[in-house]
Amino acid sequence: MTVESTTDNPPRRRSMSLWLRTYGTFIGLLAMVLIFSLLRPGVFLSVNNLRNIAEQVAILAIVSTTMTVVMVVGDFDLSVGALASLCGVIVADMLIKQLGLVPSIAIALAAGALAGALNGLLVAYAGLSAFVATLATMTAYRGLSLWYTDGSTLFSGIDEAFRPIGQGSTGPVPNSVLIMLGVLAVVWFVMEQTVFGRRLYAIGGNAEASFLAGVSVRRLRLIAFIISGVGAALAGIVLTSRLFSAHPTAGEPLMLTSIAAVFLGMTMFREGEPHVLGTFFGVLLLGVMNNGLNLLRVNSYIQQVITGVIIILAVLISGLARRGQR
Amino acid sequence: MRHITKTYPGVRAVDDVTFDVRAGEVHGLVGENGAGKSTLIKILAGAVHRDRGEIHFDGQPVTLANVHEAKRLGVSIIHQELNLVPYFDGAENIFLGDPYPHRWYGGVDWRTLHRRAAAILAQLGAAIPVDVPVHRLSPGQQTMIAIAHGFAANARLMVMDEPTAALTDQEIERLFAVIRALREQGVGVVYVSHRLEEIFEIADRVTVMRNGRVVTTQPAAKLDQDELVRLMIGRNVETVFPPRGDGMGEPLLEVQGLSGETARDVTFTLHAGEVLGVAGLVGAGRSELLRMIFGVDPIRAGQIRLPSTDDAGTSRAPRSPGDAFRKGVALVPEERRSQGLVLSRPIFENVTLTHLARFARGGLLLDRRRELRETARLGDRLGLKAHSLRQPVMQLSGGNQQKVVFARCLAGEARVLLLDEPTRGIDVGAKLELYQIIRDLTREGAGVLLVSSELPELIGLSDRVLVLHEGRQMGIIDAATTDQTEVLRACYGFTPGEINGE
Repeated sequence: MTVESTTDNPPRRRSMSLWLRTYGTFIGLLAMVLIFSLLRPGVFLSVNNLRNIAEQVAILAIVSTTMTVVMVVGDFDLSVGALASLCGVIVADMLIKQLGLVPSIAIALAAGALAGALNGLLVAYAGLSAFVATLATMTAYRGLSLWYTDGSTLFSGIDEAFRPIGQGSTGPVPNSVLIMLGVLAVVWFVMEQTVFGRRLYAIGGNAEASFLAGVSVRRLRLIAFIISGVGAALAGIVLTSRLFSAHPTAGEPLMLTSIAAVFLGMTMFREGEPHVLGTFFGVLLLGVMNNGLNLLRVNSYIQQVITGVIIILAVLISGLARRGQR
Repeated sequence: MRHITKTYPGVRAVDDVTFDVRAGEVHGLVGENGAGKSTLIKILAGAVHRDRGEIHFDGQPVTLANVHEAKRLGVSIIHQELNLVPYFDGAENIFLGDPYPHRWYGGVDWRTLHRRAAAILAQLGAAIPVDVPVHRLSPGQQTMIAIAHGFAANARLMVMDEPTAALTDQEIERLFAVIRALREQGVGVVYVSHRLEEIFEIADRVTVMRNGRVVTTQPAAKLDQDELVRLMIGRNVETVFPPRGDGMGEPLLEVQGLSGETARDVTFTLHAGEVLGVAGLVGAGRSELLRMIFGVDPIRAGQIRLPSTDDAGTSRAPRSPGDAFRKGVALVPEERRSQGLVLSRPIFENVTLTHLARFARGGLLLDRRRELRETARLGDRLGLKAHSLRQPVMQLSGGNQQKVVFARCLAGEARVLLLDEPTRGIDVGAKLELYQIIRDLTREGAGVLLVSSELPELIGLSDRVLVLHEGRQMGIIDAATTDQTEVLRACYGFTPGEINGE
């Protein structure tokens, strides 16, 4: 038996937890910036360092942004890291084989879309849970890149025209950052301003109600996975250009970190739903922390511990706030 | 139990109920859907706490504060959905939660466990293999395993909620043998069923509930089925229903020999301007009928045609909800919160969800101003009360939430409206408003297929009533000349005197 809420007015109580949920992550980011700039005056906030941070987070931001799309629908994609590596390997190999810049990139992106479509088919049409399906494809995609490269790094003979994507700048802005901003803008627009995005949010809120309201739930879930696959491929391409080599497991860390970024972002917006801008703040928070701790010469192993603690704290705060809502 | 009362916001689910069960007695509990049986059972189980009243067990006052206390006292509930672990065998399920016998080295003594389980089943006179995973057993055997589980835990009072819903006649006979064995062992049994003939076969006494109150408790031998049906309906205060329309228009929906999982060979025609009620007990196939027409549940046989969509190609049955809406068929689902609404999203997003592309620029770009304008227009028409149209739907009352679902259906040009329990869980005022809305819609040329478990509502609002009994169509009754007794009798499978098929 459901007990109906009989109020027609928005609840005004529990404003403290609501406030924490909405601004907690943002305040955390500000606090971090403040602490680092006080501890390393003149270094942390220098133009050079800020540019550094932007460049460091660009690839993660691309993956996290498209991961947000999948998580809006209520799924998630564990295969993005392996897929980024695989697409990085593919683009490098195509370039080594002299296929030319544009065809090589196009093939790698297509591979990403195809791999994403496989994830989507398994989840939306074959009915596997996102966890099982993408865990399996993650393993398979990793195996493919290891088999493709025989476990070695591809680096000799990559077309020089490929270098500017990850290493060049347009004016003062690094190209990778431009790509990141482009992805952010497009995905934000699609999610917030189009019929498509609205339907994805509806599915994430209540898939059965959306289905009964006439939304093609399965098709949209499939498309969300394709977007995630393309995002992973793009990240892999930028990463390969940045390193100017392709390692079969280079993209692995992206998976957990991007999910963490989306979770951090979920603590900021709406009813705890994933949101593109929130994700970007999550990415920035992780990037700033990483950079600041490096400047403070904190042991890199300890940095991982701190990252873990921060993620738990952020999600705990938002989780508590959400429990308070009931 | 004496003077038990339980109030939910807006409803008094159980009102001053006094009820007793003796050791070694089978006590039938009957009443229409929503009469308060489920709530009473939940109170007995310790899952819901009463507001008022006292409960005595073996002469001692008890609080029944939680499920554990109920279990400790020896109250065992056999739910419709059995609480068995499907991949464990019968013996393990019977002793689930009890300490298993152990061997000297600490391992489980399976042989003793199986022997004890077999002994329990033998006491109940049930022959069921105890070493087979229960999901491979028939529904009837599973029910008996659940009963044996309660018996093994020394249950003194066993409550069975519709235990025969999924059973064949043969299995029901075996179940009754087990229940009689329980009675001989001194266990008190509360037997809840919609099948009245079963009540007469197994129950010693019968308690009838209506609108949360006990109407009477009598020895089963003193009652007959007609009397029981009359007691269940009572003489309800007539709610004022809007006047029926004047005559039917052209056919909007033709259903021919439709069969699905439960429904069998259903045939009717829904016309413009009419409300066709669908009556039946829980599980009679009412919702399934609606969901088949809406393109959700699979159709085994039969045809659905939508003659009003003139183009020959589009008059076929909808393949999906999206297709249904495109063809002018809209559904208000049974479970408002889980099937009808995206609770976390704003009102206007819920209203425009189905026909979103129509409110968007070029069918792609959101136009929130237009969405809000359209939502405001529909909201005015339905009397939707909300703080703001950007409010999440979860903050609304049940009646206003339902208006949001209605508004979504009206946002398109739906002419066939499938309403599944549209007034469930909403207060009387909002109900009356919805009645008026439903009638207004038919006056504007819509046809409504209405499923409701509230018989007065169903009869008062409908022009005709189609009755389903265990999936079979008992007939179509003229609502203006019928009464609740006739409809309810048909729901229980009795062929009504004056019934005209189509």
